[in-house]
Amino acid sequence: MFSNSNILGPLFWIIMGVLYMVFITGLVVWLKDLNIKMNWWKWSLVLLWFILLSIIIAGGFTLIGENEMRAGLLFIAVPGAVMIVAGVALSRFLFRNRHEKQNN
Amino acid sequence: MNKIDRRKFIKSAGLAGGALSLAGAAGAGYSAGADKDSYTGYGRTNYGEDQFFNRKPFIVDNPTYVKKGEPVRITAVEDIFKRNGMLSRLMFSRGDIEPAWKPADGIDALPGQLRDYYKANPGALEEFIKAMEKGRAQRANWEKYRDKYFIADAWSTAHSSPIRGRGAFPAEPRDRPEKSDFRGVNKVKLEPKSPSHASELIKKICYSFGASLAGIAKVKKEWVYQGSLRGVGREDYEVPSHWKYAIVIAVPHEWDSMYANPTYGTSYDAYSKLRFIAGKMEVFVKELGYSSRPHVPPTSYDLVMPPLAIDAGLGEQGRNGILITPELGANTRLAAVTTDMPLEPDKPIDIGVSRFCEKCKICAEECPGGAIDFSDKAETVVRGYKRWKIDQNKCFTIWNSVATSHARGCRVCLSVCPYSRKNNWVHSFAREVDPRDPTGLVASGLLAMQKKFFNYPGGQEYLPPPDGNNRTFGEAPEWMKTDEWFKI
Ligand code: SF4
Ligand code: SF4
Repeated sequence: MFSNSNILGPLFWIIMGVLYMVFITGLVVWLKDLNIKMNWWKWSLVLLWFILLSIIIAGGFTLIGENEMRAGLLFIAVPGAVMIVAGVALSRFLFRNRHEKQNN
Repeated sequence: MNKIDRRKFIKSAGLAGGALSLAGAAGAGYSAGADKDSYTGYGRTNYGEDQFFNRKPFIVDNPTYVKKGEPVRITAVEDIFKRNGMLSRLMFSRGDIEPAWKPADGIDALPGQLRDYYKANPGALEEFIKAMEKGRAQRANWEKYRDKYFIADAWSTAHSSPIRGRGAFPAEPRDRPEKSDFRGVNKVKLEPKSPSHASELIKKICYSFGASLAGIAKVKKEWVYQGSLRGVGREDYEVPSHWKYAIVIAVPHEWDSMYANPTYGTSYDAYSKLRFIAGKMEVFVKELGYSSRPHVPPTSYDLVMPPLAIDAGLGEQGRNGILITPELGANTRLAAVTTDMPLEPDKPIDIGVSRFCEKCKICAEECPGGAIDFSDKAETVVRGYKRWKIDQNKCFTIWNSVATSHARGCRVCLSVCPYSRKNNWVHSFAREVDPRDPTGLVASGLLAMQKKFFNYPGGQEYLPPPDGNNRTFGEAPEWMKTDEWFKI
């Protein structure tokens, strides 16, 4: 990465770390405002989903960077579609939990 | 109010942070894919730690090749280059002299070794004659393709220059190994602290000379040619007793041109690199006070390289007949230096290449000549070992058919192999996980993706019209495209 600079590479990963933290902080507030109660395994599921999504996107773009456009796009599209379905299922599960809690 | 604004801000920042981190992942991925440093052997340094695969978990006591029957040493006539050389000398005599043999004379009129070979291999002679015809057409057609492949051809010729004629390096041995391998050996000889110290030093020196991989093997009799010895000529001989160990060296072809096989790539870039490394290693070992003899491409070998490299723990043999290493895949070219220096041999590895090849067959599907075996298992017994059969004669016909200035090779089977991929996180993940999976499911999953996601033109497409469309496996790098640099 940034082959002509040994400053930009580490800086990039620091910024990436900050962005992930900002995302998680925002997510905590979103979930609180939506009245969704979280515990350790629900958090694990949500974070796992996001990490997998990041990996799939990074993987697809790695192949695109290798000049394998078709492979890269399919790499994003096929597992990406699975991730979207998984994401919808996960959010429905979290929301259903919220309703149950509200009904009680 | 203030509180609500703060919450809203954190929530919006969170959304933006999520989106940006995904964009960052895309950028990091793209950069990893495009990075030239992730081409093994072309990284920032030959000592680069991330260049090497950790072989330790895959070390085995016995090499992965399978013995079947009594091992037999390879004879000169079984080597396609030597065989074709013998036949060509008979067919295309210099000057006004009548050719010593013409196809019309038939197989029986050929001298002993050649006659026996062609009798035992029906169709091989016809294939050679076909290759010659294709070669004539190739040279006649070159004008049509010359401009397009102008840089590629010049690049290849430049790489072949240290291989040709009197200035070739290293020089060919001029007399018996007992003499030539000891010529110039330093009278001062220091004893290594241990064979393991000696091996470690030798490998470090190999890397400093530009080798991507280096390993040490004991010389086994069955890997030594019979009936033809460089510096001596045609004669049967015992393996010289000072050929105790072989320092085996591997380098890849320049990766971008290799992906653009058959027409943009060349064999000579790796060959010339290997010759320099092995030639310098010959001198280095002699300076340490030990005998040495380099065995280098294209044809200056007294030993068969792939099994020697398997013994040296560099990799395993693939369906395509080529050594597959975890770092370079099938983009692996080999040379060796035999010596009597006391060295510690490396152990072979098992990363599951044969198991993968049983399912894969991509090289066989993509081979323009149909020269690679499609059988599920490697069952053909060649000189006492099981392997997938490669029809060298059909392969040679393709060298003479693709749109190059002369029979410069094809190498499509190197490019298409799923093991010949960059040293970046996506492929490293596959390399690390597949050999550790006893179920074979990872291999099946990877292979399904490989076949469905990647573009494989199909064997015939690599040939020039009317048989194909001069396709290459990957796109040629921009520095090889003539129209980017010249007025054509
Ligand atoms: S070099 Fe070409 S023709 Fe020869 S085996 Fe490989 S793919 Fe086939
Ligand atoms: S292309 Fe497939 S079958 Fe051929 S050598 Fe490579 S892994 Fe084996």
